[in-house]
Amino acid sequence: MEDEFLSEEDLDLRNLPWEEVVAYWNLWLRQAQATNHLDEPFYSHGVFVRDPAVPLPEGADADDS
Amino acid sequence: MDNPYLELTEVFNRGRLRAVLSSGQAVVVHQLAVMSKDGDWILREESETFRHVLRVLAERGARYRFGAPLDSRWLAGGWSSHLEHRWDGLRLRTDFVSRPPRISPRELEAIWREAEELEIPVVGLDPLAALKKTNREKDYAVIGELARRMPSVRSRLLYSRSARDLMKLADAHPETVRELTAERPLLAVCGRRRDEVETALDAERRALMRANEERLAAYAEASRSWAASWPSVVKEISGSTLTEAHRIVVRRAEGVLPFAPLTGESP
Repeated sequence: MEDEFLSEEDLDLRNLPWEEVVAYWNLWLRQAQATNHLDEPFYSHGVFVRDPAVPLPEGADADDS
Repeated sequence: MDNPYLELTEVFNRGRLRAVLSSGQAVVVHQLAVMSKDGDWILREESETFRHVLRVLAERGARYRFGAPLDSRWLAGGWSSHLEHRWDGLRLRTDFVSRPPRISPRELEAIWREAEELEIPVVGLDPLAALKKTNREKDYAVIGELARRMPSVRSRLLYSRSARDLMKLADAHPETVRELTAERPLLAVCGRRRDEVETALDAERRALMRANEERLAAYAEASRSWAASWPSVVKEISGSTLTEAHRIVVRRAEGVLPFAPLTGESP
């Protein structure tokens, strides 16, 4: 038995030819646009957590990031 | 078939190496997982690089988000710059640092040296694992999987998140464990029971998450005045080209956003 960190779907990525990786990547990015309104003020990289000029999405906590 | 982040990486690096793809999109290039919709690059800390990147983004109609100006005076202090534009119906966020966290100057030099040899300039497995030591739980799953891809025993011992893997490695390489224990104290317990190694891994993760939270809190404190003035900066740059907006953002940040908050340098 082995400790598991990522899903089977993620782990399959390494077996795909590069063109299919890029196709899946592009599809994922397109689908992920559906949540843009939820992460509008937030940051996923760097030293900033929240954009003070953007209102928090409904239901979001001020500590969300 | 092209991808917007690969295309940007190519254009940022047209003529010479200026930008190394990092973080979430680097994880994809390593064929590990797709889990981030924003792009993150490490930039060479040179004015030509910043001018080139701003020119590329200006051509695409990018705008500044709240953050540090894309200027070496701030990025050398560990700050990050954040821009955003639309591309073929996608919201593309482009985030930049020149001094990535948890990467020593020597390791940063190695990132640049190795990137010169790559078709896609991307952060390698070891520094990527170091960058992923954030305050987000999900990043530790990525580190665990990155460690399994690392060819060297040394790297696997330094980054593995699996008690089972660590115990097997420690059993097979006791000398290397002794050498690395000062760097990763958790290795000292890898000869014990699995639940003890698991407890040590949990404690290590929590300590790393707290350390990153404290780092971000220091930057938040240092950017308090900048955050307060940002809504008026947004009004001032509204309708400007990125080139004009950049000049305004730099002028407004001078004297408000300290260059190097972690070393106490004043604005």
